Amino acid sequence: MKKPNQQPALHKVIMVGSGGVGKSALTLQFMYDEFVEDYEPTKADSYRKKVVLDGEEVQIDILDTAGQEDYAAIRDNYFRSGEGFLCVFSITEDDSFQATQEFREQILRVKNDENIPFLLVGNKSDLGEKRKVPLSEATGRAAQWGVPYVETSAKTRANVDKVFYDLMREIRSRKMEDNKPGNSRGKDKSKRKKLKCVIL
Amino acid sequence: MGPPPIVTGVSPKEGPPGTRVTVRGEFLGKSPTDLCGLTICGCDCLLSAEWKSSNKIIARSGPGKGRGEIVVTTRSGGKGTSTVEFRGYHEMIGPMKESAVWVEEAPLRKMWWGRRGLTPTTYQHDDPLGISIEGVEQKFPEDGLHKLFPGGSGDLSSENFAAGWFLLERHHATPFDDLRAGLAFLRRKVDGQKEGQLSFIKSNVGSVMEQLDTLAQLKERFEEDVEKQGQDPTIRLEGAIKESMSEANKLFEEVLSRRERADATRSALAVLQRFRFLFGLPGAIEKNIKKGDYDAVINDYARVMNLFGNTDVPVFKKVLAEVESRIVQLRDLLHRRLEEAPTSLEAQKKLIRNLVNLEVGGDPAWDAISCHSRHLTATMMQCKDSHIAQEQSALEDGGKTPKSSKNKSTSVPNQNTDWQACVPARVLLTEELADAISERFPDFWKLGQAYFTGELQVTVAPSRPQDFKKLVLAAISLFSGLLRAALMPHTLVRTPAAERASYGVWHSKGMEGLGPWLPHCLRALRQAYSSLIRLDLPSEALDIVASLIFDLRLHCMSTLLKQAGESVRQLHTQETWNIQFDGEHGGITHLPAECERVIAEALQLAKDSVLLSEHRETPLLESEVVQRDLNNLIQNMLLGFVEVLDKLALGSDAMAGDSPGVSQMIGSPAIYRVHGSDSVIDKGRGKDKESGPAWEVRLLSVLSNIEYTRSVLLPRIADLFARYQLPAQVGPLASVNKALTELDQRVLDAYLEQRSDPLVGTIEPSMYIGNFNWDAALKPADVRPYVKELLTNLISVHAEVHSISPGLVWRVLPQLVETVAEELARLMVCLDKKFNVHGTEQACADIAAIREAVKVYSTPTAEAFFDEALEAVPRLSDAQGKRNVESVLNNFRSRMKLQLMCFRDPKAPTVKNISNSV
Ligand SMILES: Nc1nc2c(ncn2[C@@H]2O[C@H](COP(=O)(O)OP(=O)(O)OP(=O)(O)O)[C@@H](O)[C@H]2O)c(=O)[nH]1
Ligand SMILES: [Mg+2]
Repeated sequence: MKKPNQQPALHKVIMVGSGGVGKSALTLQFMYDEFVEDYEPTKADSYRKKVVLDGEEVQIDILDTAGQEDYAAIRDNYFRSGEGFLCVFSITEDDSFQATQEFREQILRVKNDENIPFLLVGNKSDLGEKRKVPLSEATGRAAQWGVPYVETSAKTRANVDKVFYDLMREIRSRKMEDNKPGNSRGKDKSKRKKLKCVIL
Repeated sequence: MGPPPIVTGVSPKEGPPGTRVTVRGEFLGKSPTDLCGLTICGCDCLLSAEWKSSNKIIARSGPGKGRGEIVVTTRSGGKGTSTVEFRGYHEMIGPMKESAVWVEEAPLRKMWWGRRGLTPTTYQHDDPLGISIEGVEQKFPEDGLHKLFPGGSGDLSSENFAAGWFLLERHHATPFDDLRAGLAFLRRKVDGQKEGQLSFIKSNVGSVMEQLDTLAQLKERFEEDVEKQGQDPTIRLEGAIKESMSEANKLFEEVLSRRERADATRSALAVLQRFRFLFGLPGAIEKNIKKGDYDAVINDYARVMNLFGNTDVPVFKKVLAEVESRIVQLRDLLHRRLEEAPTSLEAQKKLIRNLVNLEVGGDPAWDAISCHSRHLTATMMQCKDSHIAQEQSALEDGGKTPKSSKNKSTSVPNQNTDWQACVPARVLLTEELADAISERFPDFWKLGQAYFTGELQVTVAPSRPQDFKKLVLAAISLFSGLLRAALMPHTLVRTPAAERASYGVWHSKGMEGLGPWLPHCLRALRQAYSSLIRLDLPSEALDIVASLIFDLRLHCMSTLLKQAGESVRQLHTQETWNIQFDGEHGGITHLPAECERVIAEALQLAKDSVLLSEHRETPLLESEVVQRDLNNLIQNMLLGFVEVLDKLALGSDAMAGDSPGVSQMIGSPAIYRVHGSDSVIDKGRGKDKESGPAWEVRLLSVLSNIEYTRSVLLPRIADLFARYQLPAQVGPLASVNKALTELDQRVLDAYLEQRSDPLVGTIEPSMYIGNFNWDAALKPADVRPYVKELLTNLISVHAEVHSISPGLVWRVLPQLVETVAEELARLMVCLDKKFNVHGTEQACADIAAIREAVKVYSTPTAEAFFDEALEAVPRLSDAQGKRNVESVLNNFRSRMKLQLMCFRDPKAPTVKNISNSV
């Protein structure tokens, strides 16, 4: 029998997306309920705290990565450790939406897993009047990838908790699946990948 | 003392010494002065720390290397912890690198002699091996280098320069050949430097001279300065610096104060935000409780307790009390919901976790488990009570008792709308209990498992595993007990009375009509069992159900056999006396086939439901007691058929039936008449079942059936047993055989008695008909009429027997012949030799004629009697007498040719053989 007071489960979340879309803003709003007006480009920030997920105490570890191209080379290393990804763009900036495609590809390449927990996040929903990315286009892309799409605002806190909790739930259910006996992670992953190939 | 600081965020998470690091978290101090310690990777950074708010500190990282904690210490909370780490690393510093510790090297101004000056060193700018490393992005991990070369450095100018480090760091991607070329290059350079020292001075003599001049000039100037300014030239400089500093301070004062104000506003805003959270909380909690979002409530509650848990402000306290009261309500609500009828397992687990998170006292998980158990028990008990009541009312209604045989035979009629009313309450009980166990028990068990594996994050009291086991066993025992009480009360006789009563008292009358439903009950029970097996229950618990199943199977099997026995015993009502012939066995009625069908059906049913052991069941037939019981039942069932045959042949009903053959036999071929009109068969088929065929015909039919049963049916039944893998039933078959043999004899005797008495009885009156006297006989011309009548009567018996079973002729006729011979002998002896000559001739001819006619069926006993009869007649004195006898016999043979053919041995090829042999 396991000890009841074990260390709570740790879910590793990575924030990706172009510079200035609000990854850090989302993270800080989630972590500390604060909104930062001024823009300070991130290099790589690390956050971790305890939260209650569906009645169960867990730890969330957030790696807030750099959106600026200058730091693109170090991303590979960071992505490797991630268990789930929030891929953020700003609905007021079409370039940032286009860039999500590249991020998605890089993640799939590094993780080698089509079903990695992943949410497409359209941020700055409070700036509706400046919207450049139509909702239909974003939901279309999410559907094509087979991932959920959520619009957030780091400023008003709309949907901020939702994206983090939804992602943690996906990570958790993925882990439970992988932990099933006779389902070693590595083997499983390659199988998934292969299966996909066969279908294609 | 307030809560200790906790660091939960760091930005960036790595960097070289001097990196500006934003540290975030909670309780990082109440004011700049509250902060009294900050270390990053073990390096004290307090000096550079800038306290922003209790959530945020900005500092510069120190020279620490590798991963390390960020520890904040405050006066109010003491030493804190961190959930995140910072990684310090040292960067190779080149002119293109931005660095916090970059030493600005002013570029050398123009040379006085207009020559190109010497750069201080060539390090970093060019590669000492002359190899370009541009475009090689990958870096060797620095941690690895530290491990490989402890205390080393890749810096060419460093004292602890390690060549390996340098190569790995800069050239770990350079091909070997390039490295060789680089080595040659380096060697050339070193050689060039050594031999060129002199030539170096020579070629630079101008510079050297210049330097000397400059040094002399410098000395002059310095001395001049000392003269002018006095001994210490830096005093003025210091003054100037101080002045500029105060100027600068003045310039920035405004900016700085503005910034301070901004900071103050910001933290005030943060505080306000928090207060808003606090004051809004009671409402938010209510809303979330209504929404059922207990997680949110718990998160908020934890946060508010962290933030305001030990506040002294009365207003806060008031709000907190409000919050607290709502949390208490929530606890109650959750507790109540936990005690309600158990919902889904997941929902329950969630409730329990919520309660644990709300720090409710006691052991909510255990409460849930015991509530589950109570509920399960209550469900089963209630199920029992309601069905007992249902059966009771059905019994009282009388008409509604599940008697309808139509519904019995179709095992589960489903479309039928009112079938519910026809299914016995006990069967419904079984179904419902099985459902209850397979639906509720798994959740109960899984909840227990979750509890003990720590999934619910509660501490488990040491006595709990034992308690839980008791609950499990109690639930299963109750399940088993309830079913036993309803279906097999006899298995509970050894249970203590009180316990027995708790399983429910059923009216004994309700057991009737339950039999055909038992296989159905067994199926339901097995389904429940398999759901229990899937749960991996301890075998102690499973065994309870296993033994219940075993007993039910046994009970089912015995019930089936008993039923079959009863059906067999009822077969006599179905006898139609319709004789059917098959080539080998003579005529039989359909009764043996019926018997076989009943038994086969019972066995098939038993096989389908009972005989085969399913997963984790004890084989039924292993135990000897069971085998003995089953043997008895089988024997009983088979003996039932013997009884049926007995009843049909010799029962009071059978003898009561009139037998026209007996009374009409004398003097007239009554049987012919009966046979001629085919009335035996007609009556057998006819509507008037009661009368049926004559008793003699019944006796013969039964005899034939007995024979068939012995030779065909029993072996077939033995085969059946073998096919259904019942062990060879030697004992029962043997005793049945014995009973059959005995019955056979009795029936045969009855028939013989029935037939031979009148047949023999007619001889004497017939012999003396017309006052015939042996002593006054005329010359015989033919055999006397009594001989003909005797033979005709024999023929009619022969015909009767033959019409039913040719084989029986061989058992009946020889016996009759014996009695006839005996009677003949008796009659002749009685005459005491009072024959005249013709009387003698007549007697000899009669005896010889009879003897010859029945020769085929004669026995040694009969022959002895015939001899005795002849002996009683005086000897034929002369040849004339013998001739007379012979002519009578010849006459007899030709006149009675047809009749005689009846007694022919059916196996003999021709008629001639017989006449020849005489
Ligand atoms: N109105 C509005 N502004 C936002 C929102 N989220 C972020 N911003 C602003 O957008 C700017 C950039 O936000 P950051 O969170 O620093 O951007 P980032 O994605 O972390 O950028 P990099 O760290 O460079 O990758 C900041 O000035 C924020 O105040 C939002 O939801 N609404
Ligand atoms: Mg950022």
